[in-house]
Amino acid sequence: MATPQQLQLLAPLSGVLMPLDQVPDQVFSSRVIGDGLCIDPTSQTLCAPLAGVISNVQASGHAVSITDDNGVQVLMHIGLDTVNLAGKGFTRLVEEGQRVVVGQALIEFDADYIALNARSLLTLMLVVSGEPFTWLAPETGVVESGQPLLSLNPSEVAADERIAQEGEALFSKPVTLANANGLHARPAAVFAQAAKGFSASICLHKQQASANAKSLVAIMALQTAHGDVLQVSAAGADAEAAIKTLAELLAAGCGETVTVVAEAETVVVETSSLKVLRGVCASAGSAFGQVVQIAQQTLEVSEFGESPQAEREHLSRALAAAVMALQQLRDNATGDAQADIFKAHQELLEDPGLLDQALALINAGNSAGFAWRAATESTAALFKSLGNALLAERAADLADVGQRVLKLILGVEDRAMELPDGAILIAEQLTPSQTAGLDTRKVLGFATVGGGATSHVAILARAFGLPAICGLPVQVLALANGTRVLLDADKGELQLDPDLAAIEQLQTHRQQQKKRQQYELENAGLAACTRDGHHVEITANIASLAEAEQAMALGGEGVGLLRSEFLYLDRNHAPSHDEQASTYSAIARTLGPARNLVVRTLDVGGDKPLAYVPMERETNPFLGMRGIRLCLERPQLLRDQFKAILSSAGLARLHIMLPMVAQLSELRLARQLLAEEALALGLTELPKLGIMIEVPAAALMADLFAPEVDFFSIGTNDLTQYTLAMDRDHPRLASQADSFHPSVLRLIASTVKGAHAHGKWVGVCGAMASEKLAVPLLLGLGVDELSVSVPLIPAIKAVVREVDLLDCQAIAQQVLGLESAEQVREALRQHHETTVNTSLVLEN
Amino acid sequence: MFEKMQRAFWKALTPDLVVDEPKVVAQPVCGLAPNVVAALGGVDNLKSQQPVALTRVRVELRDVVQMDRQALTAAGVPGVMLLEGGVVHLITGLQP
Repeated sequence: MATPQQLQLLAPLSGVLMPLDQVPDQVFSSRVIGDGLCIDPTSQTLCAPLAGVISNVQASGHAVSITDDNGVQVLMHIGLDTVNLAGKGFTRLVEEGQRVVVGQALIEFDADYIALNARSLLTLMLVVSGEPFTWLAPETGVVESGQPLLSLNPSEVAADERIAQEGEALFSKPVTLANANGLHARPAAVFAQAAKGFSASICLHKQQASANAKSLVAIMALQTAHGDVLQVSAAGADAEAAIKTLAELLAAGCGETVTVVAEAETVVVETSSLKVLRGVCASAGSAFGQVVQIAQQTLEVSEFGESPQAEREHLSRALAAAVMALQQLRDNATGDAQADIFKAHQELLEDPGLLDQALALINAGNSAGFAWRAATESTAALFKSLGNALLAERAADLADVGQRVLKLILGVEDRAMELPDGAILIAEQLTPSQTAGLDTRKVLGFATVGGGATSHVAILARAFGLPAICGLPVQVLALANGTRVLLDADKGELQLDPDLAAIEQLQTHRQQQKKRQQYELENAGLAACTRDGHHVEITANIASLAEAEQAMALGGEGVGLLRSEFLYLDRNHAPSHDEQASTYSAIARTLGPARNLVVRTLDVGGDKPLAYVPMERETNPFLGMRGIRLCLERPQLLRDQFKAILSSAGLARLHIMLPMVAQLSELRLARQLLAEEALALGLTELPKLGIMIEVPAAALMADLFAPEVDFFSIGTNDLTQYTLAMDRDHPRLASQADSFHPSVLRLIASTVKGAHAHGKWVGVCGAMASEKLAVPLLLGLGVDELSVSVPLIPAIKAVVREVDLLDCQAIAQQVLGLESAEQVREALRQHHETTVNTSLVLEN
Repeated sequence: MFEKMQRAFWKALTPDLVVDEPKVVAQPVCGLAPNVVAALGGVDNLKSQQPVALTRVRVELRDVVQMDRQALTAAGVPGVMLLEGGVVHLITGLQP
């Protein structure tokens, strides 16, 4: 064997270096293809950075790769999205299979033509075979063609490995990955380098997938993520030492600072005596049935393809077939929600960004399957890494649609799953494609590890009227098929091995619920007055005219929250004044002059961006330019909206509400703008102006805000997450971010006190108002209005009619002194059982 | 609704890929820094100029000889590419 020697890579071009992280192309900057460098060229001939054989050169001449005798493979890619030029502007000087010497001219290109016709000239040189390198020159600044830039350590493992693999492989204990972004390039490189220090052949395992631990690219292709459980295996002389070192390195973060994932997780796995697994309710209800585990198929793809031409055809055929299949699913969908999901999937398939990424990889010599998987996975990883719950859910879509196309590329047939009767489906994450083919008559419920209230499982479960729990611990995946379980989504519990009494109880309970719903619906038109004659206004949270109409039909006494941003979301330019005005007027007319209409002004920000309100990306959008902050920064947007809302004055009792107010100055400034717009329209009377109480600052200073507003409405969702400093969509904190926490209740109490001292009313428009358990509590705290989600109006009205205000005040005072949300909920449950006689109601 | 949000997200993520209106040329005719213009031989030597390819400004000079490379480097232009017909690419890097 040749003695390992330092291999130098020379600059293939003259130009200006750009750090790879800054390259505005995710495929390259994420190093999915490999680590390397980027040059903004000032010369027009691409030269060989090393000697070797041309392993691939694109027909279009914009990319070429060279493999040397030790297996080092280097890819050069001229420009971004230059594949679209279809060869124009490039002249190939070498052929595939040709041996080249270092510095030999490979491709000539017309820089001016490319600059004028492609996205960029930024040229990449990437070490595809994954050897780590050190820089021989400064990493920024100007380079001359032929100047030594990188020093590589060619690995000599290839030959050793074959021999070593003969031995028996040892496995490490499972390690839970603590790196926030999984093993991305840098930690993967650290790990691979450490692995190379051992002669044993070493593999890194993630579920069924495994990778050569000495290959950076292979490790990255494993697409590990935070929380993944990995194992290291090794075979060979120093296997034991390798496993010990590498498992420790993994646990310590591979050079990244990590909070080590608590050992507790492994301990829990071993406790098999667990009887109840807890998650978050994604769709209400309960069911008793048997476990059916649904696993995502792992598909094998070969990395390298035939000719790029053939692979491109493969991909486009598969894409076309996928679009057709999705169309069929859309046409056969059981509801709009489902059809919309598949429509969105079709749109994802047409996304140029995704396609460009895949084509670039195909042109670099990869197979269609490999390229497509890398493109979808890297984009999905990007979605996930942005820390936005909604985007993270879209990552699941991308993975789903990605898998669909991949199966078509590989010719893997989707078999319809045979389900036993009474199935409770359990999965890491259920994808829309998996749920579409299900025989829902046999499914009683869903339980998943991933996902949240906005996930597809949740949407579909609600559409089917089936119970679902998300966010369960991973142990749920270990349950054997056929295990009898009780899925109690209302409590967010999956009971293993439930007893007969519990099941019977559940069934009677379900029947009672049905009766109860019927009763509530029949009486929806009655006023919401407590038994001792105190009237509470029950209004609706709406986002459209249709919902306004539905709310009135279900006994809503007005609209407590019109989420105006939903009128803006469906476009990439601001809606015209007339469009806005006609929407507001139509909703106001539906309510009529005797009912309240509370319009919340545009509540968007970094967490819910609008296409035509360009915003800089914020590291912490929830603490950034949201709501009124954004509107005051772009006052014209707010003025236009005020003007449109004001055009509906007189049609209903118009109220305008400002979101995210934290400062009195924000309120005053907005009021001034409103007054100016009203004056311009010649209105003599201003509409009522109020603020959302969702920032603790506003709740704490309610006594100072009260004299200057007409009303408050408490947004309990945001108030809770800001008070507890817990993201309500956080997979592990969501269950603790509970609005029943005494701290939140105290803020509600002080808000009411401040408001009532100045004769102003207080509403609650957060999710808490829609929870039956919260009704006596909120009434007892003095809340005057509950704005609830439309379908729950009859239920909440019915609860109000069953309580005494005096009782409510007593229980509210009592729970303010408790320690935790659990204690509050428990106290309220007991109070409910002792004060409300539901059986009496049912007999009526 | 869902796909609309999706579009909004794509737009927010990849503003450079989803262009919905022609981008206004970021720099007006005299948008180059004065010392860069001077190094190119003054305003009178400039036939045209336009930002291209994310990292470059493409200028057409009447007389290439009047261009002062050292002055360009001093003016903070790290890369200069002299092409045919008086065309010069100034490599200015990614614009924020």
